[in-house]
Amino acid sequence: MNSFWPLVITLGYVAIAMAIGLKARAGHRMDTLEQWGVAGRSMGPVTLYLLIAAGSVSAYTFMGAPGWAYSKGVAVFYVAVYLAYLALVAWYFGPKVWQFGEQFGHVTQASAIADRYQSPTLGALASLVMAVGSIAVAVLQTVGSAYILFVMSGGAIPVWLGVIIVLSCIAVYLYISGQRAIGRTNAFQGALMLVVAWAVGLWAVHSATGGLDMSAVFTRIQQDHAEFLTLPGARGDMSFSFWTTSIIVSMFSFMPPVWTQWMCASSARTIRRSATWLPTYYVVILPVVVVGFIGIYSLPDLARADTVVLEYAMANLPVVLVGLLGAGTLAASMSSSEPFIHSVALSATKDVLQPLFKLSDAFTAKLARWLLLPVMALIIAPLAIAEPGSLVMILLVGLGFASQVLPAFIGMFFWPRASKLGVMAGILSGFAVTVAFTTVWSHPLGIHAGFWGLMFNLPVFVAVSLATPAVEASVVERFFRISAPRGFKRA
Amino acid sequence: MRHLFVLPTSRAGWVLLAAFVMLVLAGIWPVIGFVNRAALVFGLPLMIVWSYVVIFSCVGVMLVGNHIVEGDGHE
Repeated sequence: MNSFWPLVITLGYVAIAMAIGLKARAGHRMDTLEQWGVAGRSMGPVTLYLLIAAGSVSAYTFMGAPGWAYSKGVAVFYVAVYLAYLALVAWYFGPKVWQFGEQFGHVTQASAIADRYQSPTLGALASLVMAVGSIAVAVLQTVGSAYILFVMSGGAIPVWLGVIIVLSCIAVYLYISGQRAIGRTNAFQGALMLVVAWAVGLWAVHSATGGLDMSAVFTRIQQDHAEFLTLPGARGDMSFSFWTTSIIVSMFSFMPPVWTQWMCASSARTIRRSATWLPTYYVVILPVVVVGFIGIYSLPDLARADTVVLEYAMANLPVVLVGLLGAGTLAASMSSSEPFIHSVALSATKDVLQPLFKLSDAFTAKLARWLLLPVMALIIAPLAIAEPGSLVMILLVGLGFASQVLPAFIGMFFWPRASKLGVMAGILSGFAVTVAFTTVWSHPLGIHAGFWGLMFNLPVFVAVSLATPAVEASVVERFFRISAPRGFKRA
Repeated sequence: MRHLFVLPTSRAGWVLLAAFVMLVLAGIWPVIGFVNRAALVFGLPLMIVWSYVVIFSCVGVMLVGNHIVEGDGHE
């Protein structure tokens, strides 16, 4: 591919995203965490829908998911199912989290944990360990962004330069417009991804079959490669137990940026309405995954499965569509990395540095914005440029940990007797098991390591909670007026 | 407080909880085992069709849930 148009279109997208991000500030002062952190709790249902949808659809959708279809088959759809379940989670918990934030002034997940258990230490612990998973996500997405610029420029923009370009753009509009930039850019990126995914998918089907009917692709797969149409997939590694436990663990991973996004809604009803329609967005996955299936018979010898869409597009699609694919993939990776970068800076300042150094609210708000820069320049950029082989391992451990924070949420939404020590004991035991079953003995019996962690975590949490003092009654009552407006049942 | 737990307090709430649980069960084992066949439905693999049935059923259940929650004035 020698045309310069794909690069022009991809860089054009970057310029538009930059302009939207800078304009998102719209005259608002960004000197409070209420504004910079949660956009003044002002987002309407459409912006919130696209914010959460685009944030959850990462570069994985355009690269990893078709790659999974190419190498394993329909097993890839566990992602679409758990994303729909995350909408159920948002529907139930989102409005309550919004009310916590609005009434108690929380702007981060860790603030809510610290408040519920009256323990800044527990809040700081949650913030720091969640940061491991968040940074890993941000690094992986940044690597994806840089790779797209490398491919679209025909190798003229090396990965290190791509990392710097992408992070610089994000840094400027995040510093200036904060969560408002994330909301506006994600809305644009979400719409762009949907259009690009279907345009690329349908064009690829047309080029492969001469029509727009996807059934021609699957009929051929059914005849020649039927193992791609069932579990455990073509490689035999997606068992029923791994499918099931991966979905359950992913459902219970309350990642901090999602929590913050819930608090950006203009009302509890807004988030419920957005969550209701959120699963409809996941039709974005189908067309790009179909390209992965086409690749099974048209590109049988690919070295890297996750390049299947790019390789197929460059060989068979018009240059304008290749450029749009580059823009769409870059949009997917940027829309996922920026909430995680913002969340790390926000939570590290609010939940670790402020209580540690007794900082004022005004200084904390200023510090959170500046902290973006060292987080990007000293952690994310070097890691992304180095592309360490263990990054996926860090990510798995990080996400495995995210689900281990579940006891903190059980005590916030369901069980008033949960104690600070019970939550800490549950998290630490679950984390230790998850780490061991990720690194030493990977996913024993084909069950996700995070699920093993939960099986140790929850009994420890309950036992230690019952054996240690409960949180002060007035605090519990304050939280459960929102979590259980009609009171409790005796279990 | 020891044995207190947040559970639905109305029949509609219990029905909604049951619907949520059924949705989750529909997407995991053992239910997923029944649709794990190399068959095509409307030209798409059965597993993909079933995944989207579950996904759009989530929308339907949440729409009903909105009606219940907003109807009784509890936000």
